[in-house]
Amino acid sequence: MNPSLVNVLLMAPALVLLAIVFAWPLLDSAWLSTQASSVLTGLAPLANDGANWQRLLGDARFWQDAASTLRFAGVSVGLELGLGLAMALVLHRPGRGRGWLRALALLPWALPTTVLALGWRWIYNDPYGPLNAILKAFGMAPYGFLTTPSSTWLFTVIADVWKTTPFVALLLLAGLQSIPAELEESLVLEGASPGQILRRLTLPLLRPWISLALLFRLAQALGVFDLVQVLSRGGPAGSTESLALYAYHNAMRFLDFGYSATLVIATFLLLVLLTACGWLLLRRRPLEISR
Amino acid sequence: MIRSMPEPFSPIPGLRIEGLSRRLGERSLLADLNLEVGPGECLALLGPSGCGKTTTLRLLAGLDPASCGRILLDGDDITRQDAGKRRVAMVFQSYALYPHLSVADNLALGLRIRGMAAKERDSRIASVLELLQLGELSLRRPAQLSGGQRQRVALARALLRQPRLVLLDEPMSNLDAQLREELRPELRRLLCGREQPVVYVTHDQPEAMGMADRIAVLRDGQLQQGGSARELYERPANRFVAAFLGRPAINLWPAAAGRQLGLRPEHLRPVPAGGLPARVQRREWWGNQQLFWLESAQGELRMLLPAEQELPESLQLGWQSEHEHWFDSHSGDRLPAP
Repeated sequence: MNPSLVNVLLMAPALVLLAIVFAWPLLDSAWLSTQASSVLTGLAPLANDGANWQRLLGDARFWQDAASTLRFAGVSVGLELGLGLAMALVLHRPGRGRGWLRALALLPWALPTTVLALGWRWIYNDPYGPLNAILKAFGMAPYGFLTTPSSTWLFTVIADVWKTTPFVALLLLAGLQSIPAELEESLVLEGASPGQILRRLTLPLLRPWISLALLFRLAQALGVFDLVQVLSRGGPAGSTESLALYAYHNAMRFLDFGYSATLVIATFLLLVLLTACGWLLLRRRPLEISR
Repeated sequence: MIRSMPEPFSPIPGLRIEGLSRRLGERSLLADLNLEVGPGECLALLGPSGCGKTTTLRLLAGLDPASCGRILLDGDDITRQDAGKRRVAMVFQSYALYPHLSVADNLALGLRIRGMAAKERDSRIASVLELLQLGELSLRRPAQLSGGQRQRVALARALLRQPRLVLLDEPMSNLDAQLREELRPELRRLLCGREQPVVYVTHDQPEAMGMADRIAVLRDGQLQQGGSARELYERPANRFVAAFLGRPAINLWPAAAGRQLGLRPEHLRPVPAGGLPARVQRREWWGNQQLFWLESAQGELRMLLPAEQELPESLQLGWQSEHEHWFDSHSGDRLPAP
C-alpha cells in the first residue's frame, strides 16, 4: 500500500475524534452565529444577514466584558507567573520533606473550581466569614469584600491566583529540574550571585516552560466562568462579568442561542489572537541541553 | 584530630591537602586525605566509581563543604572560602556548557559576571579561542558542536579565568577511545607546565598514566598510594593498587604463610624445565603482542608475549624473583620478599 495512504489511515481515528469533539462544535457555533435563534423564532435557526455580528459591534456590555476579562486575565496570569516562579524556585531547593511540600502546594489546583469558589465566597462573607472574623478580632468593622466592583474584581483575582499558581509552579518546577545542576555549579565557580544565576542562566533556560505556562493560563483565564459565576455571578452590576458568563446568560437566561454563539466565536477569536501574539513573542529556537 | 601547628609564614606554592574528610551522615565519602600538588604539576586521582575522587574535586572547588581538614592554595587556607572567590576552574564531566549561549558568550559570561571591561574581555577570549583553534566555531551553540569541540570549549572556559587551580572531572569519558588518545598530548600541552596545579579525576588507568605527573589511587574514600606512574606500577603499596594498575591485570595466587604472590602478565615466561606447569586455554592475538590464558595448579593465569612467539599446549612457566610482588593475603598490604 502507498505509505502516505497508510499514514492517513493510521491517523484517521484520531482525526475523526478531533473533528467530532473540536471542529464540529466550533463550526456549528460559527454557523449559528449567523442565525437568529431565540424564543422569538421558536428556537429554530433563521438566517439574519449578520445581524448578530452588527449587534455585537454596538453592544456596550460585550465591550465592557471583553475589557474586564482581559484585565482579569492579564493581571491574574502575570501574578501567577511571578508567584509560580518563586514557588518553583523554593520547591526546587533540596531539603527534607520536599515531596510532601510539593504535594501540599499542588492541592489548591487539584480542587474543583466550584468547590473552592464556594469556599472563598464563605471566606469573603460579610459579616460572618473568616476574614471578617479576623478584622473583628482586631477591632475593625466588617468589610463587604464582594460589594463594590473594584474590591470584587480584586478578590476574584486573589482567589484565581490562589488556585492556579500551583499549576504554574509545577510546570516551572519541571523546567527547573530539566536544567543540569553542573550548569549552576559552573556559574557559582565563576563567582556569580544567586541573582546573576537566575538572570543569566535559569530564566533563559526556563523560557520555553514560561511560555508554555503563559499560553495555558492565558487560554484558561480568558474563558473564566465557574469562579466568577459562583463567587459573584458577574456582579455587582455586571462589573466582573466575563465573556463566557455573558455568553452563558444569553443562551441560558435569555434563550438567545444565535447571539450567544456569536459571543462564543468572538471570544474564541480573541483568544486565538492573544495566544498567537504570546507565542510569537516568546517563540525562539528551541534549546537543546548538551550533555 | 590533633595536628601539629601549621607553619604560618611559609607561602608554599601549589596545592596542599591536609587531613581532608567528608562525611554524609554515617557514611564516610573521604577520610583523612593528605596530598600535595606543586605548581604546574598534574595529579591524577584514580579509582573505581564511588572511591571519593569526584568528592575530593568538589571539596577543592568549594561546591561541597569539608567535614574536617584543610585545603591550602599557595599558602592560603581556602577550606571555608566561598566557591566563587577561590579562583578555581573546573571542567565538568558533562562540560556544563551553557546551552543558550554561543561559544563566545559561554566564554564571556564568567568575565562579564566579574565585571571585566569589554576590551580586555574580548582580547582574552580571542587569544584563548586561537590557542584552542576554536575561532571559526565562536558563534555556534554547544548543541552544534561535536564532543571533542565541546571539551575544548570547556577547557577554554577554564583557562580563560586564569585560575589558581584547575580541576578536571573525567574530561575524556564522553569521547570515544580513539579521540581520547589523540587528545591526551594536546590536553597535557594546554594544562600542565603552567603555573597552576592541575587535579585530574579519572577511572581510566592508561589515561592517568599518560596525563599525570603523579597519580593518587583512591578506594572507598581512602588514599591507597600516591606517586609517579612508575612507582605505583613497580612497587604497588597493596593488592588493590597492583590490581587496579596494569592491563591485563596482575596474576595473584596464594603462597605459604598467609602470603599472596603477584606477577604481572608480561613477567611470566615459558622456560624449558623446572617451572610452574601450565596448559594453554585461550589466546588473544592483539597484533603488537598476544595474551595467553593459562590453566595451572595456581588457577587461571595471564601471560603477555610478543606477537610472533608460538607456544606448545603444555609448558613450564618461569619468572625473575625481582618481579615478584608479595602481599599479606588478609590485609592486602605489600610485604617484603620472603
